[in-house]
Amino acid sequence: MVQIVISSAGAGGLAEWVLMELQGEIEARHSTGLAGNLLGDLHYTTEGIPVLIVGHHILYGKIIHLEKPFAVLVKYTPGEQDCDELGCESSTRYLVTALIKNKILFKTRPKPIITNVPKKV
Amino acid sequence: ISPKKTYRWTRAEVDTTLQTAKLDAAELLPAAHCLRFGPGAAGDVCLLELEPALCGRLQAGHSLEIRGDKDEQAVLCSEDKTYDLKVADTSNVLLFIPGCKIPEQLKMEETHSNIIQTEIFGFSNKYWELRRCRPKLKKLKKLLMENTYEGPGSEKEKDSSHLKYTTEDLLDQIQASEEEIMTQLQVLNACEIGGYWRILEFDYEMKLLNHITQLVDSESWSFSKVPLNTCLQELGPLEPEEMIEHCLRCYGKKYTEEDKICRATAQMLLQNAVKFNLAEFQEVWQQSVPEGMTTRLDQLQGLALVDRQSRPEIIFLLKVENLPEGDQERFSSLFSLREKWTEEDIAPYIQDLCGEKQTVGALLTKYARSSMQNGVKVYNSRRPIS
Repeated sequence: MVQIVISSAGAGGLAEWVLMELQGEIEARHSTGLAGNLLGDLHYTTEGIPVLIVGHHILYGKIIHLEKPFAVLVKYTPGEQDCDELGCESSTRYLVTALIKNKILFKTRPKPIITNVPKKV
Repeated sequence: ISPKKTYRWTRAEVDTTLQTAKLDAAELLPAAHCLRFGPGAAGDVCLLELEPALCGRLQAGHSLEIRGDKDEQAVLCSEDKTYDLKVADTSNVLLFIPGCKIPEQLKMEETHSNIIQTEIFGFSNKYWELRRCRPKLKKLKKLLMENTYEGPGSEKEKDSSHLKYTTEDLLDQIQASEEEIMTQLQVLNACEIGGYWRILEFDYEMKLLNHITQLVDSESWSFSKVPLNTCLQELGPLEPEEMIEHCLRCYGKKYTEEDKICRATAQMLLQNAVKFNLAEFQEVWQQSVPEGMTTRLDQLQGLALVDRQSRPEIIFLLKVENLPEGDQERFSSLFSLREKWTEEDIAPYIQDLCGEKQTVGALLTKYARSSMQNGVKVYNSRRPIS
């Protein structure tokens, strides 16, 4: 039987991350991929409403405390030193890297930012 | 969404964007996150939706396991619970962001108008979803019945080619949590012999039980107060002490020993024929149990079925553990045995299907159709039975 172990980093406590949910898909504009690319600026109003500025769009969202938290699992690939003379362990492992208890949901349509157009004189 | 390739490091740039967007900084919290994509997780990353109880287990450092053969639906097990595991797709994109703060947290901290440079760890449009389910334990009995224990002297024990299972072996084969497996082993009266879990062959188990009941009778002990050491001393020469002790443990619990013994005796009688005349059976049954015990038909729930429509009335062996595990298959099988059931008769045969949120009534509503017969409510199949 296939057995996949999901193990926790230990009782030292898990980091808490945040989930952000956006409509649509993410694509890289350049072939160099996404790493290092800016997504946008995240602000909160004094009332606690999240505001995301992405390119020429503003998105208004809300904070949701998740009834069912998420665990972020990273697949563990054994390094050279973890293999013994019989080879690397064949069972798959995931490490719980963080927990997510809050989500920032943006589901309204983005509002385009209209920049000032210089008036004709 | 196509992210741009510029970094924004300065507060000034963020403020400019706010101005362009016509947002009033006075209405915003002073701190802002500048979100950019990180280098990408080295390796597969996925999200697992947790029940709050599981969240606590992980935080305490415990592990979870996903189990399943290629042809089985995968399950996830904690130490004591089993969950169905499914992949949920969403049409949205989910980004997971370390170090991102929510307003509650920002308000508690000092109000610097700083930029929090935040790296997005990864994103996905899928996550794993869990739903608590019944552990898949039918296989457990099937495995242990492959090689029942007939006593240390039996020829079978000398042949080591027969399959035997340790606790570890069972964890490898059964889609259930360890605690659920251990509980079921107790229910099955399984015994750990030489490190392997064994189910006693029925006749051998009855032989052991008979030794004990005869001794209890002759010494006029109460079944709930059998002196262990005396019992082992007297019966030791006949059978291994561990086996006597095991039998006592299974049958000697105060509140169930009478029911359990009567039930086992009934099974012994019923398994020798297809069906029995009910009246004759009840007489023989009462005579076969130890002095002082009273037989009752309700002791046979999930073990035998009475047919009061036939003439004469009959009783026959029908063990719930031999019926299919799946809900629809179980009902199909019961309805092909008997067209119409009262709730009282069918309940013991569907009780084990009830999960956290399903009652016997709910199952009957889902899988059966009710009607009145001679003033009594009966259930029959919703589908035609072939």
